[in-house]
Amino acid sequence: MALARRGGIGRYYDVNGWLFVAPALGLIGLFMVYPIFWSLWMSFQAGRGMMMKFAGFANIIRLWNDPVFIKALTNTMTYFIVQVPIMIMLALILASILNNPRLVGRAFFRTAIFLPCVTSLVAYAVLFKGMFALDGIVNSTLQALGIIASPIPWQTHPFWAKALVIIAITWRWTGYNMIFYLAALQNIDRSIYEVARIDGVPAWARFTHITIPLLKPVILFTTVISTIGTLQLFDEVYNLTEGKGGPSNATLTLSLYIYNLTFRFMPNFGYAATVSYVIVVFVAILAFLQFFLARERDK
Amino acid sequence: MDIFARGHLSRIAALALASASLLAVTAAEAKEITIWCWDPNFNVAIMKEAGARYTKTHPDVTFNVVDFAKTDVEQKLQTGLASGTAAALPDIVLIEDYGAQKYLQSFPGAFAALSGTVDYSGFAPYKVEAMTVDGQVYGMPFDSGVTGLYYRKDYLEQAGFKPEDMQNITWDRFIEIGKEIEAKTGKKMMGLDPNDAGLVRIITQSAGQWYFDKEGKPNITGNAALKAALETVGKIMSANIYKPANGWSDWVGTFTSGDVATVVTGVWITGTVKAQPDQAGKWGVAPIPALSIEGATHASNLGGSSWYVLESSAEKAEAIDFLNEIYGKDIDFYQKILQDRGAVGSLLAARSGPAYEAADPFFGGEKVWQNFSDWLAKVPSVNYGVFTNEADLAVTAQLPALTQGMPVDEALKAIDAEVAGHIQ
Repeated sequence: MALARRGGIGRYYDVNGWLFVAPALGLIGLFMVYPIFWSLWMSFQAGRGMMMKFAGFANIIRLWNDPVFIKALTNTMTYFIVQVPIMIMLALILASILNNPRLVGRAFFRTAIFLPCVTSLVAYAVLFKGMFALDGIVNSTLQALGIIASPIPWQTHPFWAKALVIIAITWRWTGYNMIFYLAALQNIDRSIYEVARIDGVPAWARFTHITIPLLKPVILFTTVISTIGTLQLFDEVYNLTEGKGGPSNATLTLSLYIYNLTFRFMPNFGYAATVSYVIVVFVAILAFLQFFLARERDK
Repeated sequence: MDIFARGHLSRIAALALASASLLAVTAAEAKEITIWCWDPNFNVAIMKEAGARYTKTHPDVTFNVVDFAKTDVEQKLQTGLASGTAAALPDIVLIEDYGAQKYLQSFPGAFAALSGTVDYSGFAPYKVEAMTVDGQVYGMPFDSGVTGLYYRKDYLEQAGFKPEDMQNITWDRFIEIGKEIEAKTGKKMMGLDPNDAGLVRIITQSAGQWYFDKEGKPNITGNAALKAALETVGKIMSANIYKPANGWSDWVGTFTSGDVATVVTGVWITGTVKAQPDQAGKWGVAPIPALSIEGATHASNLGGSSWYVLESSAEKAEAIDFLNEIYGKDIDFYQKILQDRGAVGSLLAARSGPAYEAADPFFGGEKVWQNFSDWLAKVPSVNYGVFTNEADLAVTAQLPALTQGMPVDEALKAIDAEVAGHIQ
C-alpha cells in the first residue's frame, strides 16, 4: 500500500511533495503566470499613462493603421528571413570544419568563434558603432583594399544600417549556434564518415547527406531559439542607433517599438502590450511551422 | 534582588523610550530632499549650489542630488509613476520641457501644483505655458534653451565676411555664406545629425509654430513654418554644407574639432564651446537666421528643463519652499550659475544682474549674456503638446527622402500620418 502511494497517481496526494514545490510554484505564479495574464488583459486597454480604459479590440485595429508598427514588423521579418538562414548555415559549416580532428589550432578557433556571444551586448554594440563609423576601421580597410571607392554610410543610410545590424547579430550569435552543432557532431559515429569516404562520397555530399540529416533535431532547436531571439531583437539596434531605430525607422524592431511606446512616447501600456503579443503570436506560428516542416521530413 | 532588578528594568525601559523618541524628533527635524537630474557639469552642479544656499538658512534641510543619464531619469520616473509606489521616486525631479505635458497629463495627481506659491508672472511665458494643465501650474521653470548662432570669426574672415554679415540674416543667406566658406576655407558650415530633429524644431518655433496647435491638435500638413523648416534643412543637406554626425558626441565633435564654422543651438552649449581654450577669441554669437515667412523671428528655443515636485513626497512642503526661495527669488544665485555654468535661467528679474552685463573674453569681449537674455524675451510661445517625441521621430524618418528630392508636401503628409497613428 505504502509502495503504491509512492508511485503512480498516489504521488499527487502527497502533501510533503507539494510543500516542497510550493515556494517555487508561488514564485512562478507571481512572476511569470500573473504578468502573462495581466499583460493580456492590458492589451485590451488603451489610454495615456495611468488613465487606462477598457477599449475592446481598439489596440488590434490600431495595429493595422499604424505605419510605424508595419515598418517595425517588416524590419523584424527582414532580419529574420535574411539573418537566421545565413547564421545557421555559417554555424553548420564552421562546426563541421572545426570538428575535423586534424585541424591545427582547433581549440583556439572554437574559443575565438564562441567568444562574441559572451561579450557584453552594450560593449560590442559600442565597438561596432566605432568600427563602422564613416571614417572607422571597416571603411578605411575596405578602401585600402580597393574594394570600395568611397566610404559606405553604414549608420546613416537606411539599407546599410540594416546590413550593419545583420552583420552585428551574425557576429555575435553564430558561435553560440556553432557550439550546439559541435556538441551534436561529437555524437555522430565517425565510422559513418569513414565508410562514406571509402565509398568515394565527396566532402560536400557528406555534409549535405550525412551531417545535416543527422543534426536535424539540433538544427530545429537552434532555428527555433534563433527565431525567438531575432523577433525579440532589441539591444543591438538600441545601442547602435542611440535608441532611435534610425535612420528613417529603417532599423526599428518590434521590441524597440514596444520600448518607445512605454518609455519614450506618451506611455501607452495597453498598446505596448498588444505589440508584444504580436511577437508572441509570430513566435508561436513560426515555431509551429518549423516543427511541422521538420516532422514532414522524418516520414 | 527581584525588586532591584525590576527597578533597573523600568529605568532601562524609560531610557530606551526616551532615546527612541529623541531619535524620532531628530529624524522629523532633519529633512533630506532627494533630487534626480542629469548632466553633472550643468544641472547637478547647479542643483548642488542651490541646495547649499538653502541649507545655509535652513540647516535642518539637506540635499541628495542624484546624477543619472537623461534617458535613465525619464525611464525611472515613468516606471516609478506607473508602478504607483511613491517610495521609488525622488522629491524633486528634472523634466525637459518637451516631455512635461506628457507626464502631467498621463499621471494626473503625481506632481504638486505650485500655482498658489510661486509668482509665475516673473518667468518667461513660454516656460510657464509648458507646465500648465487646466489652469494649474506645476513645477519651477529652470533653464532656458534660448537659441543662438555661434560662429567662428576666423573662418568667416578667411572667406571675406565680417561679424556684421552674420547679424539678422535669413536661412537662405546662411546657406549662401556656407557655400562660400566651404569654397574658400574647405570647412563645412555646420554639423548635422540626420537622426535629430532639433534644427527643424528650432526653425519651426522661431516662426511661432510647432508640431501642434494651441489646443494640442496636430498641426503638420498646413503648417507653413514646419514646411519652411523642412525645406531649409533639405536645402542645407542637398547643398552639402554640413558635416554629418551620428549621435550627440559625434555632433559635439564637429565644432570642438574646428571642422565647422557655425553652431545653431541652445544657449546651454556655451559651456561646451568654451571648453576649448585654444579657440578663445575665435567665436562670436549672433541671433539665429530667420525664415522668410510671416511671423518669422530670430529667436527660438531648444530644450531647456524645469524642476517638478512629486505630490507623494514626504518632504513636499520643504521641497516647494526650497524651489521658491532659490529658483523663484534668489537673483544672486542666477548670477552665479550664469558665470559658473553658462545657465540662462528663465526668471526675468535675474536678467538685470551684473553677470548679464559682463563682457565675455572668450567671445572677444562681446556681451553675449545680454544678447541671450534679450532673445529670451522674444522666444515665440508655443504649445509643445504631449506628442513631441513621436513627431520628432516622424520628422527624422522623412529627412533622408527629403534630401533625395521628395516634395516637402509629401513628406508633411507622411509625418502627419505617422503622428496621427500615435495620437489615440
